[in-house]
Amino acid sequence: MVNLGQFIASDSMICRVDPRIKIVSMVALSILTFTANWLEVYLISLFLMIVMRMAHLKFRQMLSAIKPLVLFAALFFLLHLFFTDGTRLLSVPLLHIQITQEGLYRGAFVAWQFIALVLSGAILTMTTPPSELISGLEKLLYPLKYLGLPTQDIAVMVSMALRFVPTLLEEFDRIRMAQLARGADLHTGKLTQRAKTTALMAVPLMMSAFRRADELAEAMEARGYHRGPRTALRELRIDGQDFAALAWMLIFIALLAISRVYVN
Amino acid sequence: MIKVHQLFYSYDDQNMPVLKNIHMEIHEGEHVALIGPNGCGKTTLIKQLNALFSPGGGTVVVDGMDTRDHKNLKEIRCRVGMVFQNPDNQIVGMTVEEDVAFGPANLGLPPAEIRQRVDKSLVMVGMEAFAKRAPHTLSGGEKRLVSIAGVLAMAPRYIAFDEPTAYLDPSSRERVLNMIHKLHREGIAIIHITHDMNDLAGANRLLVMDQGSIVLDGTPQDIFSRIEAMKDLGLQVPQVTLLMRRLREKGWDLNTNILTIDEACMEISSRIGPVKEILSDSDSPAVDEHG
Repeated sequence: MVNLGQFIASDSMICRVDPRIKIVSMVALSILTFTANWLEVYLISLFLMIVMRMAHLKFRQMLSAIKPLVLFAALFFLLHLFFTDGTRLLSVPLLHIQITQEGLYRGAFVAWQFIALVLSGAILTMTTPPSELISGLEKLLYPLKYLGLPTQDIAVMVSMALRFVPTLLEEFDRIRMAQLARGADLHTGKLTQRAKTTALMAVPLMMSAFRRADELAEAMEARGYHRGPRTALRELRIDGQDFAALAWMLIFIALLAISRVYVN
Repeated sequence: MIKVHQLFYSYDDQNMPVLKNIHMEIHEGEHVALIGPNGCGKTTLIKQLNALFSPGGGTVVVDGMDTRDHKNLKEIRCRVGMVFQNPDNQIVGMTVEEDVAFGPANLGLPPAEIRQRVDKSLVMVGMEAFAKRAPHTLSGGEKRLVSIAGVLAMAPRYIAFDEPTAYLDPSSRERVLNMIHKLHREGIAIIHITHDMNDLAGANRLLVMDQGSIVLDGTPQDIFSRIEAMKDLGLQVPQVTLLMRRLREKGWDLNTNILTIDEACMEISSRIGPVKEILSDSDSPAVDEHG
């Protein structure tokens, strides 16, 4: 089972914080990660670990969440390792490869940036139920409504898409089984052959998705769906602990700013 | 009351009308079963009842509101709930409670009221323990109950069910049917499409459709006594009813207007007389002397 940071229910304080604050914090953290210097690398890493701890997320869970993306981090690392000019550490003239000190640092830094970004994203999605995430985003994007962006419709669309991911995965499995049962060979063969078998899977899946979409639209209409304002089961409200969380985030940013002034 | 008057309807790309000159009335608190062969227009007809489709000719009027008038849409969709065939394609929420909240949220109700309706509907269908579950983790029967709860949260006066027991195992089927009977007892009018003649117990009216028209309309007893007409339409009669007919043909003086096993049991036992010694003497079967 692919796990890209699915929500894990827990009663931690982080889980209860308003999604808007979590989203804004994650964006702030991403910007900080991009502009970090060496000291900040340690501070941000420490901060992420503290947050994971507070959210009751286990190291193993985090690892499985970032595992599929480790390959990319490694790729970034190698790219910088091989293609940065500077003080030569090691060179292989035969292959026109040279490894420099700067390359090593740069590669490690970029890989760290990437992992830190993925981790902060994963912490957000693992501590926030998808529906809250969507209503948080909807509220944050609300000002864009005045630019003519239908924020509420977008929120409904995104939540439908997420709702149907497991359903379509099941459907995909069913189609795969049906093709296998009729003797389709899905795993071997030449590239052109395999492209054809992919079409064998994709076409029925698309057809079924369209049919589902039709029925879904009817079912939504039957339950009074219409474009425009609607209410929700849970209204987001910012209360004491949300302000506390925001305050902690601001203190952390201030800390980074101070460190930056003194370190340089 | 839902009044359907001279209703015609055809899909855009076809000339053949799917619904031809339909007249019917569905009264408050009725339990109507709608049967007929595949493709005869049953589903199209119930989609007319809550204005998902609007009439090509004729009128559909729900409690005095014409379904063609857009002003009435919201109110009509509150009053006439719809449970579709495939629950997978009508559950829209990422959790059970969010799905049930979808309808009331569309009505723009305040969160406290939505919460109250969600809890009430989930208790009503007995799914309150599943409130936080994701829909794809539920069984077929549970999904069906959740979609019923989603309709109940709109506080409807009528609910149309499109083959609510299709693809269900016997115990889930029992649960869903019991739920339908319970809703009927609460005073909600039921319109129930089915292929399974054993689902009809409890219906107090039966509509038989064929090729876009209503061909028979009456009490189930009435209609099932016309076995030949039913056979011509390719429809079956409940097994118990057939059994009573056969017994009558064998010369037993029995009432054949019987649809359930309980009724049949009463009828037969009233003819064969009371059982005098109920297992008083365990060696000899109690019914011997009455046989």
